[in-house]
Amino acid sequence: MIRFEQVSKRYEGGHEALSQLSFHVAPGEMAFVTGHSGAGKSTLLKLLGLIERPSHGLIALDGQSLAKVGRAGIPKLRRRIGMVFQDHRLLMDRTVYANVELPLVIGGIAPAERGRRARAALEKVGLLAYERQLPASLSAGERQRVGIARAIVAKPTLLIADEPTGNLDPQLAVEIMELFAEFQQVGTTVLIASHDLPLIKRMKKRVVVLDHGRLVADIAAQEVL
Amino acid sequence: MNTSTELPHNETPAHAERHRPRKFASWHEHHGWSAGASLRRLMSRPLGTLLTVAVMGLALALPLAFYLLLGNVQKMGDALGQNQTVSAFLKSGQTGSAAELIATKLRDRADVAAVAVKTPQQGLDELAKMQGFGGALHALDDNPLPYVLDVLPKPGLAANEVEQLVTDLRAIQGIDLVQDSGTWRQRLDALLGVGKRTAMVLAALLTLAALLVVGNTIRMDISSRSEEIDVLMLVGASRAFVRRPYLYAGIWYGLFSGLLAALLAVLVELALAEPVSRLGSAYEGRLQIGGLPLWLLIAVPFAAAVLGWLGARLVSAWQLRKAA
Repeated sequence: MIRFEQVSKRYEGGHEALSQLSFHVAPGEMAFVTGHSGAGKSTLLKLLGLIERPSHGLIALDGQSLAKVGRAGIPKLRRRIGMVFQDHRLLMDRTVYANVELPLVIGGIAPAERGRRARAALEKVGLLAYERQLPASLSAGERQRVGIARAIVAKPTLLIADEPTGNLDPQLAVEIMELFAEFQQVGTTVLIASHDLPLIKRMKKRVVVLDHGRLVADIAAQEVL
Repeated sequence: MNTSTELPHNETPAHAERHRPRKFASWHEHHGWSAGASLRRLMSRPLGTLLTVAVMGLALALPLAFYLLLGNVQKMGDALGQNQTVSAFLKSGQTGSAAELIATKLRDRADVAAVAVKTPQQGLDELAKMQGFGGALHALDDNPLPYVLDVLPKPGLAANEVEQLVTDLRAIQGIDLVQDSGTWRQRLDALLGVGKRTAMVLAALLTLAALLVVGNTIRMDISSRSEEIDVLMLVGASRAFVRRPYLYAGIWYGLFSGLLAALLAVLVELALAEPVSRLGSAYEGRLQIGGLPLWLLIAVPFAAAVLGWLGARLVSAWQLRKAA
């Protein structure tokens, strides 16, 4: 599903965020990427979402090299990926329903089908009753769940999340992570960047540990204590 | 959280479902949505929209007003220059038959449309009709006026051709004086030429100004919505998708300012109607002053809409390239 081969990323100014990184994630697998602040977790996800391009190396998604994806192909690729952000990035002047429906509008799905799927996604994250509300009226955890509903509504093959529980209390964080685990169980590949080690240990999934942009450990799910 | 709900993931991915007929339907649907949403966005900040439309409308109305003014000056010149004859006064003592002989020769010229022979008596009668001359004419013992040939040049003659005709008339024996009142027309034509060129340059500059106004408004709009644009692009929106509402905003700005410009031009026309009508009456109806043609009034809003679209297109392409 995801393959990184000797990937390096050096930003303008010389800072090397990732260095010679190689790993792969199998289809339907769930993995955490962890490490201290500045370890390169977010850069890794940005490279997958084509927000950034690598300086060296190969990144492939479903066997397709991302280097071959031109500017015009980026939107199509992003429609295959569901992205969840720490700051949820919701459109605050649109309702919860409109936010969740957005990827389907972009994907050209018929209105009736959009309604069905957006409501199914909202129900999945437990927010169907809030569909007409504006995100500003929701709590941080609820907003994050709206962000997750938006990420899954177009049925992506890959779900990536950058510190999705960063602003949440521990109980809510567990609920969100369990939600991600459910998506993995139905075949979605899930890659989550997080520095919340207790939570990662609790989930018992594969953990990729980065330090200063280098891979320092790749712990299989069964080895997580 | 409800776990009993059907998981969206069990179905075919959205990107794989998008086929051609639906693609067109969604494109069409998004155009409708973009047109409506951009209009609502404009209406949600009436003052800003009004100011932008007013500036653009005034910029577009000025060339229209010039067009109206110059067109009417041209028409006035045409009307006053109509049947503008060259008068050739024969020498005193020339007889009627001599006058007819010269007239016949002139009628054979290719640059002459008509020649009328005016007898001294006809000349005297014309003078008598003019106010204030009646008494003076009664005091005369005999008629001092000569035969006069009113020579009408062929329509469409160039100024230098008319000038050549006048020179030729002066060279004819028996003609004492040639009076050509066409010089003022030449000057008017030259002035109109300067005016038309000035109006064209002004129209181009003001059109550019309108383009810049709409471009800058759209630039500020895009800047204020950069977060929304980021989100749209992150969830897979193409640049065309993101740009569409801004293009419609440009079209709306253009259309409204075009309508305002057309309205202002009509108001200028109405304001001029009464004094122009008086002027026309003073020339015994010879002056037919016209307004702006209907096709132009209809075309202006559409042309302005295209202008608005162009401004938005240029700026949004540049801004979104930066955002991407």
